[in-house]
Amino acid sequence: MRRRVRNALLLGGVGALALAAGVWFAAWDRGRPSTDALFALELPDTAGVKQPLRQWRGKILVVNFWATWCEPCREEMPEFARTQSELGPRGVQFVGIAVDQADKVSRFAKEINLNYPALVGGYEAMELSRRVGNELVALPFTIVIDRNGRIADTHLGPMKPQQLRSILDKML
Amino acid sequence: MDRPPTSTGLLPKRQPRDGRALPALAAALLLVALSAFSQGNPLPAEKAFRFSARLLDAHTVEARFFIADGYYLYRDKVHFAIEPASAGLSVPPLPGGKVKEDQFFGRVETYRGDVVVNLTLNDAKPGQHVVIEAQSQGCADIGLCYPPTVQRVNLALPEASMVPQTSGDGGKKPWFN
Repeated sequence: MRRRVRNALLLGGVGALALAAGVWFAAWDRGRPSTDALFALELPDTAGVKQPLRQWRGKILVVNFWATWCEPCREEMPEFARTQSELGPRGVQFVGIAVDQADKVSRFAKEINLNYPALVGGYEAMELSRRVGNELVALPFTIVIDRNGRIADTHLGPMKPQQLRSILDKML
Repeated sequence: MDRPPTSTGLLPKRQPRDGRALPALAAALLLVALSAFSQGNPLPAEKAFRFSARLLDAHTVEARFFIADGYYLYRDKVHFAIEPASAGLSVPPLPGGKVKEDQFFGRVETYRGDVVVNLTLNDAKPGQHVVIEAQSQGCADIGLCYPPTVQRVNLALPEASMVPQTSGDGGKKPWFN
């Protein structure tokens, strides 16, 4: 093979590899977003008391973005409450972030006897969910964070009870 | 172009370029990317609830939502606005939707498929540029809901008509009659 052609091929090959590596790294990096912004959040609960998310660092944290105007969100929450009861003693903590009005959130939380914090977030909460993988900015969106503060799983749409349980069981 | 001679002293033949590999690779990558997106992935709100608007005449805007299969909008969350507000937008009562009993909100109405609403421009001027703003909120049957989404369409009103207007002193017929 002529030297020029071979060199061109080598250069092209190295370039392609570099590009592929760059694309792969970007995807890997995007697939492991940082929880810093999440733990820096302070959101009011339904009583209006500001709750910093960093108070739950070290737990197996299940952050669920929801809203009362999201019927599928409301439907999966009783099951989340059951899981909270069972696995709470083993270090699991659910936190709901409602993109909603406090009075509606409060009313629904009472209706289902919610046993985990229901925080009220606005536009910046939806934006945060986008930064940790919710590209469509839709609800429900659930993030599971391990005891070291790293994202173990993200899920857009309702979670089947078994789906979440099997993720949590691995982390207990 | 001059090429250095090879060791045999002869000028080398031009090597034919094999241009087939690269387009084939590009096509393969494109197919992979397309299939990833079409595997039942939910649509972004602007595609699931695509809004469009056109002028029917100088005073009427036909506003339309094209709701994709498997998605629905809430009737009471559809809102229209116009920029500039001075163009004077009137919104008629919205068409009825399908009634649903929501466990939390009670009776709600939803839209599927195409939804058409004729809006009236009361004070738009000929040649004026306006922006029709449509807000909507909806969900996907697979179990997702989207926050309120705003979509905007630019419209240009036609220039002043060539038909002469009747004059202000009343009674005079337009001279083309």
